[in-house]
Amino acid sequence: MKVAVFSGNIPSTTFIENLIRNLSSSGVKVLLFGKKFREVKYNENVEVLDTPDSGFSLLFFLAKESVKLIFRDTRLYFRSAGIIFKSDRGLKNNLRELGALLPILNNQPDIFHIQWAKTLQRNPYLFELLKCRFALSLRGAHINYSPINDPALAESYRKYFPAIDGFHAVSEAIAKEAVKYGADIKKINVIYSSVSEKILKNEIAFKKNHGEEIRIISIGRFHWKKGYHYALDAMKILIGKKIKFRYTIVAQGEIPEEILFILNDPDLKKHIELKSGMDHEKLMSEMRSSDMLILPSVEEGIANVVLEAMAAGIPVISTDCGGMKEAVSDGENGILIKVRDPELLAEKISELSHYSYESKSEMILNARKTIAEKFSEQNQKDGFINFYNSILKY
Amino acid sequence: MKIGLVLPDVPQYSETFFNYKIKGLTASGNEVMLFTGKKNTSRKDLNVISAYPVSSSDVITQSLMFLYVILKTLLKSPKRMKKLLNLESKDGKSFPECLKSVYINSHILNEDLDVLHFGFTTMALKRENTASAMNAKMSISFRGYDINIYPLKNPGCYRKVWENTDKVHTISDYLRVKAITEGLPEKTPFMKITPAIDIKNICQANIRENIAEPRILTVGRLNWIKNYETSISAMKLLADKGIKFTYEIIGEGNELERLKFAVYQLGLEERIIFAGKKDHDEVKDKMQNTDIYIQPSYEEGFCVSVLEAQASGLMCIVSDAEGLRENVIDGETGWVVPGRNFRAFQEKICEVIEMKASDRKKISDNARARVEREFNIEDQNNKFREFFETMLNRAN
Repeated sequence: MKVAVFSGNIPSTTFIENLIRNLSSSGVKVLLFGKKFREVKYNENVEVLDTPDSGFSLLFFLAKESVKLIFRDTRLYFRSAGIIFKSDRGLKNNLRELGALLPILNNQPDIFHIQWAKTLQRNPYLFELLKCRFALSLRGAHINYSPINDPALAESYRKYFPAIDGFHAVSEAIAKEAVKYGADIKKINVIYSSVSEKILKNEIAFKKNHGEEIRIISIGRFHWKKGYHYALDAMKILIGKKIKFRYTIVAQGEIPEEILFILNDPDLKKHIELKSGMDHEKLMSEMRSSDMLILPSVEEGIANVVLEAMAAGIPVISTDCGGMKEAVSDGENGILIKVRDPELLAEKISELSHYSYESKSEMILNARKTIAEKFSEQNQKDGFINFYNSILKY
Repeated sequence: MKIGLVLPDVPQYSETFFNYKIKGLTASGNEVMLFTGKKNTSRKDLNVISAYPVSSSDVITQSLMFLYVILKTLLKSPKRMKKLLNLESKDGKSFPECLKSVYINSHILNEDLDVLHFGFTTMALKRENTASAMNAKMSISFRGYDINIYPLKNPGCYRKVWENTDKVHTISDYLRVKAITEGLPEKTPFMKITPAIDIKNICQANIRENIAEPRILTVGRLNWIKNYETSISAMKLLADKGIKFTYEIIGEGNELERLKFAVYQLGLEERIIFAGKKDHDEVKDKMQNTDIYIQPSYEEGFCVSVLEAQASGLMCIVSDAEGLRENVIDGETGWVVPGRNFRAFQEKICEVIEMKASDRKKISDNARARVEREFNIEDQNNKFREFFETMLNRAN
């Protein structure tokens, strides 16, 4: 089975790179197209067919790929070139576009797996030119909120979703959202992301609470959807209740004005620590030294940090957004709360800090069980193989 | 007296604050010149000089332009240019930087002024020495953004501005207090002149007998500082109680995606309308058909929209942001509730809905009377005249 994992960039985001590794290690031949930013080591099942960006190397590449396709299928070549040069992007961009298309046509994958829904409208001619099955991943913002504010994007979903043979949804919740844009529910497969087995194998350090001070952590880039302003409001409420705590946010990127503004409050500032992005190992140790992880988001696919915390034995409080309730069951393996409610969040933080050793341990063990059963690497691998097989049979 | 007013752009007809200010000063016998960043010929009635263009795209044109402007300034005002170069170099700038400063200030430097006034504090950045170089007094206006937001990402940015400022105009007491925490010397003379309203142009909205189905409004840019998420969450509680309200938000901005998502997530698409940008007259008309005005902002310098809502006699519910506390008198001309607390907003809205029409009328009358009494154009004009006159007298 030859699968093109198409995200446009080589390498791609962490979870797409994980997908590539998982597939290739289960014997799937993976083709990667697009622009290469950096050399990546893959196993022998992965073939990188990147397109040079510009200059002579692009022209040389075009010549080589053109000859190849003319020999294989002259009519297809001229049809493709015709479609590309009909557009008014300008010569340079058209050449780039052709350079991106030719290797795909020359290497004929069995399944062309598009990773980002927003890119559907960028190269719709693929559906016409490429004789293979199409898969599309339904992820986060692309489905959950971008089309709400962008009618043209929503329209492109309605137009191109019918051409897709199979959808991969990262959660049940996002599957439901995609149906609103015309995705056929029968063609949607929910495949959860996975947590590294290493984390599951590590022993849990059951600990008593850190004396009086509650150590709280959140992890994830700065973006309004992460709801950090709600978390900081909750922290203000904790201060008002004279609860001792320390809240660490590990986040990449520039600190937004809104967060700077809230943190301008000297009382609050004392209790908050902002840390910029760090490698995964450090992140895990940062997490392990906390009493709880909170996810104050208003929107998520399923947040991987929550899954990782659950696997590592850190109690979690998560908002009920996106697919979070598919991982967190309130009171059993974690705490699930309504979105956008700082008072409730503050209340639950205080409640969790008073859990007995026994009930905390029970929650942690349940959480780990959930991860082992639903979010294991093996589950994800099997999920994708079955998904692709069902598309090919279809 | 000749006053130079530095603004980013020519004020639109709807920007009443600057228009009234310019009109008022001119009427009392002063000459007002406007210095703008952008070239804009839309206002023939104003005396406008725009800055020379700064663009990095075309190096050759920019270099020639640079050379021309420097030479022109050298010929026209050699003394001032020399003084500006000296002052800038004393501030530790390199020679090319000093020349650049001459370039961006040359449209001002060649005029004879008594006072150079910066309409926004941020406008004074990179122009800290301009007034001194031309032997004019320097004054600045504080607006919300200048003091509340800009220094967050640029700590200490006003150090040189504070050193050179002869007088400060603040639109609220609070902004000056905040500026002092940003390093403004307490002894710097200041005057509080709030925005004003021409109440003759605004009618009192009809107080409906029954507002069980209230029409609610907020006007303002869709920016994080306006904190619309709080009002939207409050609307969710109202909807849960079965109240059939409409909530209209007038304004545009970069938070639309975030806010539309909130409305979608809370299932309020039928009740909340994003009306986009409207001109001043349309906003006035809208206020005539509104019962309750809410302003949930994190922070405001003062907020003219709330003043207009009170002039229209609407029931105003505002957050306890400092600027708003000076704008609305709690329980008398409206209500002040804890900011970022959607439950508090919802409770207050419900209270207002249940008030008798006669009690609402009292609040409406109070609000309108106070605007007429304390925020009228005549006072504003007198105060601005006084602002500039006392500054010059002090100098003499």
